[in-house]
Amino acid sequence: MKKYVILILTTCLLLSCEDEIAVDLNTAPPRLVIDASINWFKGTSGNEQQIKLSLSAPYLADEIPPANGATVIITDANNNTFSFIEDGVSGLYNNTNFIPEINGIYTLVVTYEGETYTATETLKSVVSIDFVEQNDEGGFTGEETELKAFYTDPVNEENYYFFEFINDIPAIPDLEVYNDEFTNGNQIFGFYTEEDLETGDIVTIRNYGISERFYEFMFILLQQNGEEGGGPFETQPATVRGNCVNQTNSDNFPFGYFRVSEVDEYIYTVL
Amino acid sequence: MNRIQKGLFFCLLITLNLTFSQEKFTLSGIVTDSESNETLIGVTILFPELQTGTATNEYGFYSITLSEGTYKVQLSYLGYQTTSQTIELNSGKTLNFQLRESSESLDEVVITKDVEKLNIRKPQMSLNSLSIKTIKQMPVVLGEVDIIKSITLLPGVTNAGEGSSGFNVRGGAADQNLILLDEATIFNSSHLFGFFSVFNPDAIKDIKLYKGGIPAKYGGRISSVLDIYQKEGNSKEFHMNGGIGIVASRLLLEGPIEKNRGSFLLGGRSSYAHLFLPLFDIDSKAYFYDLNTKLSYRINTNNSIYLSGYFGRDVFQIADSFENEYGNAVLNFRWNHLFSDKLFSNLSLIYSDYDYDLKLNFVEFDWTSGIRNFNLKYDFKHYIKDGFKLEYGINSIYYKFNPGEIEPTTESSGINTFKLIDKYAFENAVYIDAEHQITDKLALGYGVRFSSFLRLGQDELNVYTNDNPLLFNEDLQIYEKADPIGTESFKRSDVIESFFNIEPRFSLAYQLNNESSLKASYNRMTQYLHLLSNTSSPTPLDVWTPSGRYAKPQLLDQFAVGYFKTINDNDYSLEVEAFYKTIQNRIDYIDGADLIANNAIEQIILNGRARAYGLELLFRKNEGDFKGWIAYTLSKSEQQTEGRTPLETGINKGKWYNTPFDKTHDVSVTTSYELNEKWSFGSNFLFQTGLPTTFPNGQYQFNGISIPSFDSRNTSRLPAYHRLDISATYNPKPDSTKRWKGQWVFSIYNIYNRRNAASITFRENRMTARNEAIRTAIFGIVPSVSYNFKF
Repeated sequence: MKKYVILILTTCLLLSCEDEIAVDLNTAPPRLVIDASINWFKGTSGNEQQIKLSLSAPYLADEIPPANGATVIITDANNNTFSFIEDGVSGLYNNTNFIPEINGIYTLVVTYEGETYTATETLKSVVSIDFVEQNDEGGFTGEETELKAFYTDPVNEENYYFFEFINDIPAIPDLEVYNDEFTNGNQIFGFYTEEDLETGDIVTIRNYGISERFYEFMFILLQQNGEEGGGPFETQPATVRGNCVNQTNSDNFPFGYFRVSEVDEYIYTVL
Repeated sequence: MNRIQKGLFFCLLITLNLTFSQEKFTLSGIVTDSESNETLIGVTILFPELQTGTATNEYGFYSITLSEGTYKVQLSYLGYQTTSQTIELNSGKTLNFQLRESSESLDEVVITKDVEKLNIRKPQMSLNSLSIKTIKQMPVVLGEVDIIKSITLLPGVTNAGEGSSGFNVRGGAADQNLILLDEATIFNSSHLFGFFSVFNPDAIKDIKLYKGGIPAKYGGRISSVLDIYQKEGNSKEFHMNGGIGIVASRLLLEGPIEKNRGSFLLGGRSSYAHLFLPLFDIDSKAYFYDLNTKLSYRINTNNSIYLSGYFGRDVFQIADSFENEYGNAVLNFRWNHLFSDKLFSNLSLIYSDYDYDLKLNFVEFDWTSGIRNFNLKYDFKHYIKDGFKLEYGINSIYYKFNPGEIEPTTESSGINTFKLIDKYAFENAVYIDAEHQITDKLALGYGVRFSSFLRLGQDELNVYTNDNPLLFNEDLQIYEKADPIGTESFKRSDVIESFFNIEPRFSLAYQLNNESSLKASYNRMTQYLHLLSNTSSPTPLDVWTPSGRYAKPQLLDQFAVGYFKTINDNDYSLEVEAFYKTIQNRIDYIDGADLIANNAIEQIILNGRARAYGLELLFRKNEGDFKGWIAYTLSKSEQQTEGRTPLETGINKGKWYNTPFDKTHDVSVTTSYELNEKWSFGSNFLFQTGLPTTFPNGQYQFNGISIPSFDSRNTSRLPAYHRLDISATYNPKPDSTKRWKGQWVFSIYNIYNRRNAASITFRENRMTARNEAIRTAIFGIVPSVSYNFKF
């Protein structure tokens, strides 16, 4: 909801104008970035998983350096160990025998440059996307194509959702997080608008089940990445800590998060 | 009884004894405008032979007690002809004066140095008054005369940039200003997110801004008091005035309801830019309007009553997707009563509310929130003797807070009705304040305010393990919400939490010679309300919340010293002040705190502190065709929120950081030049250090998007802000004897079209996936014209 409000406030600065400028920025020493997202797509066995390790870079740099040569292991509560092996020097670490289990507790251990990083997370289930509704006179301007991906929130638990909308027009996915504080037990939707969507375009919609902590984490991240930050309505930005801890040297904390989710994917073709 | 109380009591006793030791008589009355019977505030009443005098209060009343004798009395007031009269004082006398405006007369008597001399003698410091006349001459953006924008040209007053709401005084936050309109508290002072202030300049009579040395009469906010009085309306004849501008127009009607006794005033203002939007096929609305009304009636010499109202609204609508409406409403009944020629009283009964409503149609819900209060004030001004005046009174405010309510707007909406728990509070205060001329050279002001705040019973107050709603996760070094272990419900009459504070106020003026004085002041103040806002400047949907178990009252201590000098018969004046203030219990928010629709604010706040210090300089040229001032402020404003235990990080690692409105240097030069009767010109020049902001120090890739990383808060700065504005005022027929008088105001805002950054934001471009720094500039060069008329 906050996102909408900030968007509105920003839109209301009708007279304002924006331009890109050059700014001198400081650069902090690189940190390890753990993008460990375990996704169990509904209807699959979920045995193939990938974890991405990289390093932080100067803000305006175009290249993100991969973190090579790490050992990456996930263990579950049944003492299964899943080793992730790097594909060349890509910083992508793969495993093909992962065993997903709803509400299973998983522990990640990454060893990189002599330091050990750990994180623990629970695999969260998610309900399916019921249907997708398209409105060609949507968005704030009334001229955007708007998609609502409806799902039915379970009534007797607190749920958190992470939506991903992917299509060819923007270069980056559109991400949203939702909780069920005001929508508990209802049929509600993930919301996406894109000005230039045309008939026949494909939009991949994914709904991930997530923990409350990931919700809080991603909520802040999205404010900082997005277009709605800045100006008098900006909240104070700060580095966000995820759930990964450097056990060797706590000051050298990593960025990123270890998330374990069930996912429902819906491939939508624009009408 | 503590030491302060004892001291005060002792002082009072001495002075009361002195009062009765000589044969003295009281001269009292009211001073009004000869054309309209409008009472005049702050008229200087001087007895040159005695080198003493007084000034009219907020209701035009004065009272002075002198020894028997025959004296010359001289009345002077900015923009009015000075009049004098000889009076024989051998009994108590009521003498009402009428002053004539000085505009067209040639034999105009210039206000003499004596006026200012009184000011350098008075212990009150850190007070700025601006006349509406001065404000109306300043060039303004889009031609809209704006009281709040005008006061930001004074030293020590600033704001968080163009398009931000409110103002900041001496490094204080915008929610720490007490804004009073005819004694009633205004909660939101801005229209259109800060582009315009809510005060209709035509309806305003007097503006005072207290930045320090705040008298005990005022309480409840800790940074400043902006005390605004509306006109009563002309009780002699019907008049109309107004203005037509490119953004908004205004109209004010005033006239007698009973000649010379009763009057009405009805003022309206509305923006209408939105009316043209359909022409450009823009299906949106953004407008504001406000309405000022007042009825005044003088029952007899000892009693007057006033009924005034203010109603303001902002309305936005963008296509069908959302509607947003908010504003203040104030209703106010006042009764002035003279118990004697020395004891003036005013009773105010005030109802005030602020409502916010937001409909988001695409998610099908309606959000409302608000604050409502009933306020009773009973204020006495006791003119005990020449050189000794007491002010005392009581103030009670009952609050009801509606932190928010969500309702689905359609049957198919996926939103459940949800009501955040209403909160209730009762704030009470008694105060006494003395203004005391000790010797010819030394004057003191001293007083104390006793304030109490009762947080009243509510439903479902969360209960936490160890009373701790906010946990610290040591492994991850982050704050996390604690889950409530239950809730408690109370009766409305229960007191959940109570606070009591003693707020001493002290000020001193020592006159060095006829032209200069030194002043010093100390004040402690308490603020029991907090505006929940974690953005750089308040937004209309920010919610007020009362102090309670977890949010403690904000406590301010401020010290100020100053040097005041008039030069060359007050052709010029110089004011230099230094201040230092500390604030305890300033709320701060954990990283990423979501304040909207949050029923458990205690889970995301920590109590921190703030401090500010600075030097202010104001050099004015008061006389001649060319007038103006230079204001310079050098200051620092910071806050700090440490962890509650050594293991916690606090906010910003517990280190001091710049507040979002900290400006090291702030210079403004304001001038006006009267070329002839037809043409006059004005200009403003501003130069300010850029606002603090937080730039990223790196990026990382997560889930397909780029995330910035940050170091310490507010360590970077936007580029310096500067601009020049000019205006020209044209009176086509200054000598016209017709009733209709017109005036054109042409202005150019930001004449050299500097693209001042209101913000620099960092984002990943959706289309290219490249990171970029984006500057948002709000106003470039803005020419405008408006037409004002009087009838």
